Amino acid sequence: MGKIKDILSPFTAWGNVVKEPVTIKNPIGREAAPRYRGFHKNDIDTCIGCGTCEVICENEAIDLVPVDGIETKDGDSGLRPMIDYGRCCWCALCVDVCTTGSLTLSNEYTWVSEDPDEFRFIPGVDKKSWDDNEKGWKKPEPNYEFYGKKRVDMPELHAEDRDKSFIEFVTGYSKQQAEEEADRCVECGICTATCPAHMGIPEYIKAIRNDDLEEGLRILYETNPLPEICGRICTHKCEEVCSVGHNGDPISIRWLKRYIADQNPSEKYKEILNAGNVENNGKKVAIIGSGPSGLSAAYYLALIGYDCTIYEKLPAAGGMMRYGIPEYRLPYDQIDKDIDYILSLGVDIKYNVNIGTDITLDKLKKDYDAVFAGTGLHLGRSTRIPGSDHKNVFFATDLLREISLGDEIQVSEKIVVIGGGNVAMDITRSLARLQNIKFGKVDVTATSLESEDIMPADREEVVEAREEKAIIDPGWGPTSIEIENDKIKGLHVQKCLSVFDESGRFNPKFDESNTKFFEADMIVESIGQGMDVEYISKEIRDQIEFDQRGRIQVNDYFQTGAKWLFIGGDIIQGPDVIHGIANGHKAAIGIDKFINQDK
Amino acid sequence: MKDLLERLNTKYSLTDIEYQRDNLVFLTIRKENTIDLVTHLRDYEGFTHFVLLSCVDWIEDGKFQLTYFLNQPERKYDIVVRTMIDRDNAEMVSAHHLWRQITTYQRELREMYGINFPGSPGVDENFILEGWDEIPPMRREFDTKKYSEDTFFPREGRKTHDPASYMKEKLYPTEPTTAKVNKTDE
Amino acid sequence: MSNLFNWEPDRSKYPTVKDNGELDVDLSSHKFTKLWVGPNHPGITGNMAVEITISGDEIVQAKTHVGYLHRGFEKLIERRLFIQGFPTCIRMCVAEPDYNEYILSKAIEDLSGIEIPEMAEWLRTLALEMARLQSLLRTVPGQGGTFSLGLGVQWGMYLRDLILDRFEELTGARIYHMYILPGGVRGLLPDGFKARMEENLKLIDQFVINIKKLMFDNVIFKKRAIGVGVIKKEWVDQFGIVGPNARAVGISRDIRKDYPYLKYQELDFEPPTAKDGDIFARSTVRYQELIQTVDLIRQIMAKMPEKGDIKSPTPNVLHWKIAKGETYIRSESSRGEYGMYYVTDGSDKPRRINLRGPSYNHAMSLLEHMLINANISDVHAIMVSLQTCPPEIER
Ligand SMILES: Cc1cc2nc3c(=O)[nH]c(=O)nc-3n(C[C@H](O)[C@H](O)[C@H](O)COP(=O)(O)OP(=O)(O)OC[C@H]3O[C@@H](n4cnc5c(N)ncnc54)[C@H](O)[C@@H]3O)c2cc1C
Ligand code: SF4
Ligand code: SF4
Repeated sequence: MGKIKDILSPFTAWGNVVKEPVTIKNPIGREAAPRYRGFHKNDIDTCIGCGTCEVICENEAIDLVPVDGIETKDGDSGLRPMIDYGRCCWCALCVDVCTTGSLTLSNEYTWVSEDPDEFRFIPGVDKKSWDDNEKGWKKPEPNYEFYGKKRVDMPELHAEDRDKSFIEFVTGYSKQQAEEEADRCVECGICTATCPAHMGIPEYIKAIRNDDLEEGLRILYETNPLPEICGRICTHKCEEVCSVGHNGDPISIRWLKRYIADQNPSEKYKEILNAGNVENNGKKVAIIGSGPSGLSAAYYLALIGYDCTIYEKLPAAGGMMRYGIPEYRLPYDQIDKDIDYILSLGVDIKYNVNIGTDITLDKLKKDYDAVFAGTGLHLGRSTRIPGSDHKNVFFATDLLREISLGDEIQVSEKIVVIGGGNVAMDITRSLARLQNIKFGKVDVTATSLESEDIMPADREEVVEAREEKAIIDPGWGPTSIEIENDKIKGLHVQKCLSVFDESGRFNPKFDESNTKFFEADMIVESIGQGMDVEYISKEIRDQIEFDQRGRIQVNDYFQTGAKWLFIGGDIIQGPDVIHGIANGHKAAIGIDKFINQDK
Repeated sequence: MKDLLERLNTKYSLTDIEYQRDNLVFLTIRKENTIDLVTHLRDYEGFTHFVLLSCVDWIEDGKFQLTYFLNQPERKYDIVVRTMIDRDNAEMVSAHHLWRQITTYQRELREMYGINFPGSPGVDENFILEGWDEIPPMRREFDTKKYSEDTFFPREGRKTHDPASYMKEKLYPTEPTTAKVNKTDE
Repeated sequence: MSNLFNWEPDRSKYPTVKDNGELDVDLSSHKFTKLWVGPNHPGITGNMAVEITISGDEIVQAKTHVGYLHRGFEKLIERRLFIQGFPTCIRMCVAEPDYNEYILSKAIEDLSGIEIPEMAEWLRTLALEMARLQSLLRTVPGQGGTFSLGLGVQWGMYLRDLILDRFEELTGARIYHMYILPGGVRGLLPDGFKARMEENLKLIDQFVINIKKLMFDNVIFKKRAIGVGVIKKEWVDQFGIVGPNARAVGISRDIRKDYPYLKYQELDFEPPTAKDGDIFARSTVRYQELIQTVDLIRQIMAKMPEKGDIKSPTPNVLHWKIAKGETYIRSESSRGEYGMYYVTDGSDKPRRINLRGPSYNHAMSLLEHMLINANISDVHAIMVSLQTCPPEIER
C-alpha cells in the first residue's frame, strides 16, 4: 500500500498546472522596501564636511572632496563626501554615524550606467534621480547612537553653597568623567579652525582617552601657555562649531582642557614640557602689560631664547584675568600656577611700573630690541545719561579691580547694573555675593538693551546669576538716573524694540511709551571699555596707522607701523583671553622674524 | 567544573585559569603536556567533542598561542586549553590521531601561520593558498593592505582631504597650530 | 572510548595506502580513473571541488579542495575597528549571514560586558530563525534537486524569496542583512510586518504538505536516499559532526537547547531527531526543522514586545577599545554549531577572530571519508545532504 502511494503521490504536483505563475513579469522598477540600503543621498546644506563618515567606512569608499560653491568657514570644512561604489558595501555605517544627520541612503538599487566612473559621485552635489526620494535607510530609532550624545555634567556647587563667598563653584571632572566625555569626540578637527589659537583639540582629547595627561599638557602648551585659566573661563568658541553638537551636546572642550591642566602638578611642568635648557640668544624684548597677550608673547619668546621683561603697572600679574574675572570663576591660585610657570622660564616682571609715566616707551625702544604692548581696555565707558556723573555711579571694571586688590568697595542695599554682557554678569554676581555677606540678602538687578534672546552674556551666566537670586531684566534702554537730595533713587528705562538696524549696525529703537523705574541707591555701568594708549608718544603715534574709528592697525604679526613695536590683545582683537594668547604667540613669531632680519 | 579543575591541577600544572562564563574556562599549560592533557580530557573526562583548533599570534612576545577547544557534551561545558609555542621555527606535536578534523586544522595552521606539525597527514599540502610565496598570511607582520596595494591597482583619480588640515590651508595657512594631520591624504 | 579510534572505512577491495598516506593507485593500470567534481559544477554546493578516484563507478578515494573563494575575512576583521566587523563577517557564510552577525556581535558584547535590551534579543531571535527558515527552504527541496527533482527547488526558492522580502523590509537588504550589530539590532519591526510574515508562513504550511507528497512520499527519492550516505553514530565525535547531521543519527545536540542563548528558553520546541543516519534521515530531520522553525517564528512574533530599545549604549565606536580577553560564542545555525573564537588585546581592534563553521569538518574530513565506497552518482547527493557551505571553510 505504502509503495503504491509512493508512486502516485508525486503526481499531485500536476495540480499546479492550472495555477497562476508566481514570478514577477518585470522585476526592473520593482520598488525596494522603505528601509532599503540603496545609493546615498546627502543634504548638502546640512553636511559640514566633518569626515566622520569617511573614518567609519571599513571599505575606504569615501573621499572628502572640495565642492564648487561650498565655502570653507567656521564649522564647515567645505568638503563633501564622495562615494566610490566600486568599494561601497552598502552597510550604512556612514549614515548611522553621520554627525549632522545629513547623510542617508535611498531605496534606489536598479540604476545602471555603462560608464564605470559614474559610480563615483558626490551625493547631493551630483544630481541623481533619487535625490528627492523620501524612502531608504535612515539612522535607526529609538536610542540608537554610535557615540554619546549627552554631555557629562560638570559637578557644581549648589547656589546656596556658593552665593555667600567667592570660592570656585565648578569643581572639575573626575578621571572617569573626563574619559567618558573625551570618548564622545569624533576627532574631526573642525573646531581647530575656530579656536583663535588653533589648538590641537582632538589631539589633547585623545591624550585624555589614552590617559596620557603629560602628552596632553605638551599639546596644550604648544599653542596655549595659560591652560588652567582657559580651562576655566575660555569663551570656548570651539564648542559652538563642534560637529557632535549638531545632534546632541557639543564636547565639553573647555572642561577637558582644565582636566589636563588640573591633573598635572606644577612641580613637574618643566620636566614634562622639557623646558630645562633654553639657550639665551642675547636679545631683549620688553613687554608692556601682563595680561594674556603679554604673557603669551613672553612665553613663546622665552622658549626660543629671548630675554623678556614684563612691565606691569599693577601689583600682580594677569591683567583682566586677575583684576576683571571674579575669583569664583577663576581662583587666584590657578592664575598663579600658569603665570609662575611662565616666570620660571626666566621671564622677568617688574610690578608697579607704569609705562608712560614711570618709564617712557622711547626708553624701552632704546634699551630693547623690540617691544610688545598688550595693555588691554581698562577705561570704563559711560552711558552719559543724566545723573551718570553721580559719585554712586561706578564702572564695573573699576569695582572688579578693587575687589581683586582686596579693597573694600561700596556695596548698597539696592543696586542696578546697566549692561547685558559677561562683564555685567560678573559684577552682578560679585555684588550679589557681597550683599549676601553684608546684608544677608540680595537685591541687585541687571538690565540691558538687548532682549533676553540676544543678550551677549553666556546663557549659563544668566541662569547661574538668577540661581544666586540676582534679577536679570533685559530689553530696556536707560534714560536717566533720578537723584533726590544728592542721593540716587533709581534708574528710568524705556522699552528697547531693536538694537541693530537692517544693515546690522548699532542703532537702537525704543518705545517711549513703555517705561519702567528700577529703584536703587547705587548704579554700576558695564557697557564696554576703551583703551588707554597715552604712553605712545606723538612721534611714535605718527608712524602707526589708525583707521577712521581710531583703531590701531597691525599686520599679520601684530607689528605696527613703528616696526619695533608690536601690539596685541584686547586693543587689537578681542575680547577674550584666547585671542590675547593667539595674538601674543603670533607676535612672538613676528618679533623673532623682525629681530633676525633687521639686526 | 571546579572539582574537575582541581583534579586536573593535581596532575598537570595549569596556569592562567580564567572563567569567561560558568561553563567556559580558559587555561594555559606547558607545551610538552598539552596533548597529554587534551587526550586525558577526551578519554577520562568526557570531552569527546572537539570544537576548534586555533592560533593567536602574540608577535610582541615572540609566541604563538595554540588554542584547543574541547567540549563535554554530557555536562555541557567547555575547556579551552592554551599553550604558548615559540614563533621561530614554530612546531607542535600533532594531535591528528585524536580527532579526524584536526588534520585539516593542522594543515591550515601550517599554511596560514607556518606552524609545523610533524607527522600530521598531508600537513604540507596546499590548503587554501596556491602558489603563495609570501610569508604565511595570518601572521601579524603580514600587511594585507600593503599586499593588496602592491598586487592590485588602485582606482585612478581618488584623493581625499583631512578636514582639519584642509581648513588650515584655507583659513589660516600661516598661523601656528598643534592640529596634527590625523589621516594621511591618499 | 575505544570506538573513538574506529574510523577506518572498509578498504578490503581497494588499493592499499602507502606510508606517506597516499593511495597506491596506478592510473596506467586502467583500473582507476581520476575525476574532478567541481569547482564549476552545478551540483557542487558553492565553490569547492572534490577530486575523486574511481574504480568502475565506485569511489575509492576522495579529496576536498577549497581555496576558490578565500578572501581572508578573519584577517581583514583583525585590521578593523570593532564596529567595522559586522558588515564584513557576514560574507563568511553567504547562506545564513545572520549567524555571523550574531556571534561576532555577541562576542564583542561578552568581552566588553554589554547587555542588550530585551527588544533587541527578541529581534535577534527572530532574525536567526528567519535565516534558518530561508536556508531550509533551499536545502530541503535541494536534496530532491540532487536527484533531478527540480520542481520542489522552484517552490522552495519562491518561498525563500518571500522571506527575503521580509528580511528586506526589516533589515534593509535581502542577502547581507547587516542587522545585528554590537549592542543590539538596527531596527524595530516595520508596521504590518507580522501580518505579511503570517501570510508567507501560511504558504509555507501548504508547501510543507506539498513537498512531502512530491519528495518524501516519492519512490525514486526513497530509493536514492535511503541507506545511502550513512553516518555512523560513533563518527559524530570522531569527526566533529554537529547539527542535523548529528541529530539524524539520534544524537540530540542543539545549541539552542543545550546552551540557551537569546530568547530560546522562552520558546517551546524539541529538536527533531532520526535514527538511520542516511540521506533520507537527514532530509527528514531538516524537513521537521522547517516545520518547527515556522512554528518558532509564530511563537516569537506572538511573545515579543511591541516596542522597546533596540540598542544599548556602547563606547564611541570610533575609539572603542576592549581589554585583553578571549571568548567563544556558539549558536545553532541550520547546519549546526556555528561558533566564534574572539580574542582582544586591549587595542581598538580584535587580535584574532576565528569562525568555527560546521562545514569545516563536514565537507573536509567527513565528506572525504563518506565518499569512499560510494557510487559516483551519489556524490552530490551526499555533499548536499551534509549541507556544506565552502565559504565558512576558507573564510
Ligand atoms: C569682568 C571681565 C570678565 C571677563 N571674562 C572673560 C572670560 O570669562 N573669558 C575670557 O576669555 N575673557 C574674559 N574677559 C576678557 C579678558 O579678560 C580680556 O580679553 C583679556 O584679559 C585681554 O587681555 P590683554 O592681554 O589684551 O590685556 P589685559 O588683560 O587687559 O591686561 C593688560 C595689562 O596691562 C597693564 N597695563 C595697562 N597699561 C599699562 C601701562 N601703561 N604700563 C604698564 N602696564 C599697563 C594692565 O594693568 C593689565 O595688567 C573678561 C574681561 C572682564 C573685564
Ligand atoms: S559625517 Fe555627515 S556631516 Fe560629516 S562629512 Fe559625512 S555626511 Fe557630512
Ligand atoms: S555604506 Fe558602508 S561601505 Fe558604503 S560608503 Fe557608507 S560606510 Fe562605506
